[in-house]
Amino acid sequence: MPLVYPNMQMSEVVEEHPSLIPVINRFGIRLGLGDKSVKTICDEYQLDTDFLLTVINTFLNEEYFPERKLQTFHTSQIIDYLTKTNQYYLRYQLPNIERHLTSFISMSTPGNNTLNLIGKFFSSFKEELTARIEKDDKVWFPYCQALSEKINGCQASDETGVLQLSGEQRLEDPIEALLSDLKGIMVKHLSGDYNENLCYAVIFGISSLEKDIKQHNRIRYRILTPMVSAMEKLCK
Amino acid sequence: MHKTRQIAIILSDTLQSIGLQSLLTDYFPPVEVCWFPTFDAFNAADCNDTFDYYFTSSETLVMNGDFFLPRRSKTIVLIDGAEGDGGISTTNHITVKASQEIIIEQLQQLLANDNSGNLSGDTNKDLSTRETDVLQLIVKGITNKEIADKLSISLNTVLTHRKNITAKLGIKTVSGLTFYAIMNGIISGDDIEL
Repeated sequence: MPLVYPNMQMSEVVEEHPSLIPVINRFGIRLGLGDKSVKTICDEYQLDTDFLLTVINTFLNEEYFPERKLQTFHTSQIIDYLTKTNQYYLRYQLPNIERHLTSFISMSTPGNNTLNLIGKFFSSFKEELTARIEKDDKVWFPYCQALSEKINGCQASDETGVLQLSGEQRLEDPIEALLSDLKGIMVKHLSGDYNENLCYAVIFGISSLEKDIKQHNRIRYRILTPMVSAMEKLCK
Repeated sequence: MHKTRQIAIILSDTLQSIGLQSLLTDYFPPVEVCWFPTFDAFNAADCNDTFDYYFTSSETLVMNGDFFLPRRSKTIVLIDGAEGDGGISTTNHITVKASQEIIIEQLQQLLANDNSGNLSGDTNKDLSTRETDVLQLIVKGITNKEIADKLSISLNTVLTHRKNITAKLGIKTVSGLTFYAIMNGIISGDDIEL
């Protein structure tokens, strides 16, 4: 997929890829974009154009992930973005899926036990994701933030903060695994009578949450985590 | 799950190679394509036998019959003609002057030949008795070590069983496995809490 550039018209980009709407919303950009370019809009909202574009482009292109570039952004920018994605999951995506799932279960034949099981499966997923977000907010992000402030304090300007990042391999993320199982199980093992339309709505919701979380995790494990371990070394 | 096809293109024509490569990546993923301008370069790469298919020209084929003839079923020759021309149907070929639609059809037929691997993979999705035993214990939340003790098998064997279960069912998490087990009557829903 071609990349998005600063001089492109934002409205055209969004029309072409409506899945970007929640992403730009996270940056505070709202619809009613007019004919303004990406650059103009970023200036108006006082956003770092480079950062916004990197996020948009990695979101659109599964293969595009400029690790070196992402690591040049400030820790607080990254944390801020990850926090906003977390909020989006909690406030919109989870409740959306839940709403559809609840009507899916109640509108389909009562006593279809499969569906109740899917409901339970989803609740256990929700618990896990909520717990992770809570931990992010209370422990992990504040820790990263504090570390980065400490580095800024003790580092002279001549060291341009070239962090020695280790190419750490990430393990399978349990949140991603749960979502992919949930989707796979519905597709493969659904049985009995059920409401097709609501079923699709649920799977669609799960699938777009899955895509979003994958992007979140890429930044989390391949950018933030190595940044933090590099800062930890530097501070010793 | 499809296996990635390893493809070697041995053609001196750069544009032809690029075109072929983009058709293969666009229409027949997942593929991994290596391009060699000459047979010598191909030989030098020292990975001759790792490929599933070889695309080459008839000249290269004739000049290097020793290599290609034993691999005839994997070799595809680009011949200079439209559809129906040539008539040398003993070798696999695609006709470079045919329309894109026809070339894609030709590639489809050629690449469809080797479903042998896929088919055998598909037939054996059922869990063995032992795997079912292990699954029953996993979903009860018992640790690998305890499973090993209960079934009097080694920890490594438990891990292998787990790996095979995940591979066969395509389910990675305990919650997913639990759901599968209940749905398929491997355990009763009352036994556990999800």
